[in-house]
Amino acid sequence: MNRNALTVGAAVTAAALIVAACGSDSAKKSGSTSGAGASGTIASKLILGGPAEFQTRPDGIPGLTKIYGVTFKAYKVTDTGGPLTVTALKNGQVDAADLFTTDPAIKANNFVVLEDPRSDFGAQNVLPLINKSKATDGVKTVLNLISSKLTTQVLIDLRTKVEVNKEDPDKAAQEWLGTLGLPSTKPAAGVTLKVGSANFPENVVLADVYADALRGAGATVSTKLNIGSREKYIPALEDGSIDLIPEYSGVLLQYFSKGAPATTSDAVYAALKGAVPAKLMVLDQSSAQDADAIVVTAATAQKYNLKSIADLAKTG
Amino acid sequence: MISQVFTWLNDPAHWRDSPVFTGIPTQLLNHLRYSLVAMAIAVAIALPLGLVIGHTGRGTWAVAGINAVRAIPGVGLLVLLAVVISPHFHGRTDLGYLLPTEIVLVVIAIPPVLANTYAGVQNVDPEVRDAASGMGMTGAQVLRRVELPCSLPLIFSGIRSATLQVIATATIASYLPLLGGLGRFIYDGFHQQDYPQMISGGVLVALLAVIVDLLLAGVQRYAVSPGISGRYSRRTFRSTGPATAAVVQAEVSPA
Repeated sequence: MNRNALTVGAAVTAAALIVAACGSDSAKKSGSTSGAGASGTIASKLILGGPAEFQTRPDGIPGLTKIYGVTFKAYKVTDTGGPLTVTALKNGQVDAADLFTTDPAIKANNFVVLEDPRSDFGAQNVLPLINKSKATDGVKTVLNLISSKLTTQVLIDLRTKVEVNKEDPDKAAQEWLGTLGLPSTKPAAGVTLKVGSANFPENVVLADVYADALRGAGATVSTKLNIGSREKYIPALEDGSIDLIPEYSGVLLQYFSKGAPATTSDAVYAALKGAVPAKLMVLDQSSAQDADAIVVTAATAQKYNLKSIADLAKTG
Repeated sequence: MISQVFTWLNDPAHWRDSPVFTGIPTQLLNHLRYSLVAMAIAVAIALPLGLVIGHTGRGTWAVAGINAVRAIPGVGLLVLLAVVISPHFHGRTDLGYLLPTEIVLVVIAIPPVLANTYAGVQNVDPEVRDAASGMGMTGAQVLRRVELPCSLPLIFSGIRSATLQVIATATIASYLPLLGGLGRFIYDGFHQQDYPQMISGGVLVALLAVIVDLLLAGVQRYAVSPGISGRYSRRTFRSTGPATAAVVQAEVSPA
């Protein structure tokens, strides 16, 4: 009698488990397909992948909707322009992705970067953020010279060397500096600096570029690489535990002045100069940009004839 | 902050699905699905294994060995498996990330179930086991009719602690792309600096774990024999109670 009750109980539990598992499975499927956006547009057939914060960032989903009228079928969180996003795009788990324009994976996989004619994504020019107490004329001269030579293509080449060919970032930095034919004067002699970097490869190699250039100009330079996020290294810059870090104009402006409306290169730079805290300053910006971009596979671009983000709002 | 969490949980928009936001009910079902599948697989593996090892007394090294698996860090294993497995899946499927998650959860769930099942069977009173064999039961009958019912309280406690751990750990599924679950709110809330969302996710996971544990406690209450749990039905006690008491009294004091 007791054993029967036990068997029945076990059977009921097992059945409940199976029903629950199947039920949630079908619920999930219907959930992901029912979430269609503006019907009929190309975007409403595509799944977009990118970092979690892209859902709420002003230039993320809200910006795409407001500026281009683009609403994707669904948004899937992958990672911040990293290998998971690239794999998901390559293998078709997402159709479009938010990647960075200097990512070597874009060329390696023949991805197509969609143009951004209405500047949803703000300018992200690379520039040095420095503690004022270390910004001597000599240091400024050296860093401004570097910025004048740094282009987006140089950034892509540096990233390819470091991320694809697994070269040492410092070596890659020195190789590029060697091609510049920098003057052999020592304008930064006598200055002691600590160069920091955020924790992604491009920023590390840029920090090495600054460090090696300053070393070549006579400064005593140490490095503290891979510090982490802005929340960590900006306070470090202000209290002098590091003195210099490579930064990006757009995100830096948003960090100091949340919601600032500037998007073009010059407007962002002008606004940024005013927004930087008293102890810090930005030096000349380079033309090199590492901005967000909506990227699709070559096949998707061809199928829907996509060239710019605006094309996604067309019916197709 | 607490009131903000309350506001977040009460916002109707967070209970609906939209193209850019998956609501609480869907993520709750996702979370349950990841956990249930893992628990079903873990119990299907660990329960029979534990019963056999406990019954035969052979292969106890396996229990110790599998217990050592508890030291494996879940997120590390998850990322490693995802890197190895996910590139092999093409098209609209999250299997490349679901498989690593389920493997990690199963790995986490097996040791408590196995160790408790084994310990439960092993701790059955040898005299009871001997009595059962003495009555002519075969080894399988002893296992099924005597050892299994007697060890149910321990088996249940193993399953309950494994379930609790799996529900809590299933949040790491959101560490991988494409997957949902309640961890999505924790992970996304962190990255969007939307801390009420992040805390709400944590609160939901904790609530889910407690509710499921209570449900399992309810199942345990009715599945375990009163003779084992010491919980006699009141009706039986009332009808036979005085008589039994009288008999016991009579036996204890023959005078």
